[in-house]
Amino acid sequence: MENNINDDNAPKTCEYDPNVNQDELIKAQEKQIAEEIKANTAMVGSLDGLSSLEEEYSNDPVYSSKVKTLLPKFSNVRRTRPDGNCFLRGFIFAYLEYCIHHRDELVRFKKYLESSKEELFEIGFPKFTTEDFHDMFMEVVSDLEGSGSIDRVEAVCNDAGTSDYLVVYLRLLISAHLQKNAEFFSFFIEGGRTVEEFCKQEVEPMYRECDHLHIVALTAAVGVGVRVMYLDRGEGDALVSHDFPEDKEPIIHLLYRPGHYDILYKA
Amino acid sequence: MANIAIQRIKREFKEVIKSDEAQKCAINVELVGDDYRELRGEIAGPPDTPYEGATFQLEIKVPETYPFNPPKVKFVTKIWHPNISSVTGAICLDILKDQWAAAMTLRTVLLSLQALLAAAEPDDPQDAVVAKQFKENHPLFLETAQYWSHVHAGVPKGNSEFSKKVRRLMDMGVGEHQALVALSSCNWDMDRAIEQLFS
Repeated sequence: MENNINDDNAPKTCEYDPNVNQDELIKAQEKQIAEEIKANTAMVGSLDGLSSLEEEYSNDPVYSSKVKTLLPKFSNVRRTRPDGNCFLRGFIFAYLEYCIHHRDELVRFKKYLESSKEELFEIGFPKFTTEDFHDMFMEVVSDLEGSGSIDRVEAVCNDAGTSDYLVVYLRLLISAHLQKNAEFFSFFIEGGRTVEEFCKQEVEPMYRECDHLHIVALTAAVGVGVRVMYLDRGEGDALVSHDFPEDKEPIIHLLYRPGHYDILYKA
Repeated sequence: MANIAIQRIKREFKEVIKSDEAQKCAINVELVGDDYRELRGEIAGPPDTPYEGATFQLEIKVPETYPFNPPKVKFVTKIWHPNISSVTGAICLDILKDQWAAAMTLRTVLLSLQALLAAAEPDDPQDAVVAKQFKENHPLFLETAQYWSHVHAGVPKGNSEFSKKVRRLMDMGVGEHQALVALSSCNWDMDRAIEQLFS
């Protein structure tokens, strides 16, 4: 180590340069990482066997033994882009896929979507843009009513503009649900913030990760059951799972790994 | 630029132009070039503030990823305000950073900036010198901000004492804006301003 101190050839990237704006440097690096992720992963990837998860953890005894317990129950996984929208994109994809196989659910969802617009206006979201996001979602659902195939769902969820608009609309639905039930949700918000402040900071901005509260609000608002399987370093071999809402039969299964959600397919 | 960004910004452009606020000349937006990547915004200084009667020009750059990321906005017109850099015009405002949401529009941005002029947040400053004056010598801050509105943003009247001090420095060969900055940041103390300029 001592030799390095006097080594003129050693990289000096860690030196503090007061003439450089450190915030700007950090931002630039964050942007670069985000762009790499964008270039290398699809918003919603292809259907992979669960064995691909096993391979990921071949050198990790804790995770690999946990993945094994998933095997009898689940057959496939579909990875989502880790850009902070992964829960919402996973939810949209899995739900639309469910809907093309369950037409009555698609009809119910369309009705819900139609009525949701007015609710968002009541909360105070601007008509001008909210209508845009709403119309895009309606268009997607109507299109699936006619030509509902998994290819269409894949195309819609991987088209940047469309996919992001759907994500934004879900963010608005979550925010509206939290604000309408502010009295209840205020008990769960940390940092002395109001529900409205929480929504402005953690729900409405794009790329903000979804946490428990977001999931509780979304599943309650849309009326769709989601089961999340938690793959982490917690004790025991079995994965902890949680159903949102607790009393509803889940139709969507997601795999949670710290900071990220992917879609799971039941065997 | 992505199609979705262009479509959105075109419609937002019209929304601003047709807005009630634009009719009252409180906000406005113009094209720079013909591709909607860059716009020139304009806001009127709110009444009962040191910016009353002033007009501020803004540079608005629309990113490829709009509306999922915020527009990049800065003041072109020089302004004395705790949350706006007196040097670069850079703005410290939550919705232009991490609290931007895709449901917001150019109109939201312009109105929020106008609101920022009426309600500064000195505890979250962009310009530390201005923020210090704002908190420690508020009457002088108000006078200084008003004087900047006079010099840079089209307000007819300004403090005549300040004018004299600026003129004296200009007689010593200092540029007008340089003199204004030195005096403003030294609480209009002539000796300190001279020391800062010539040391």
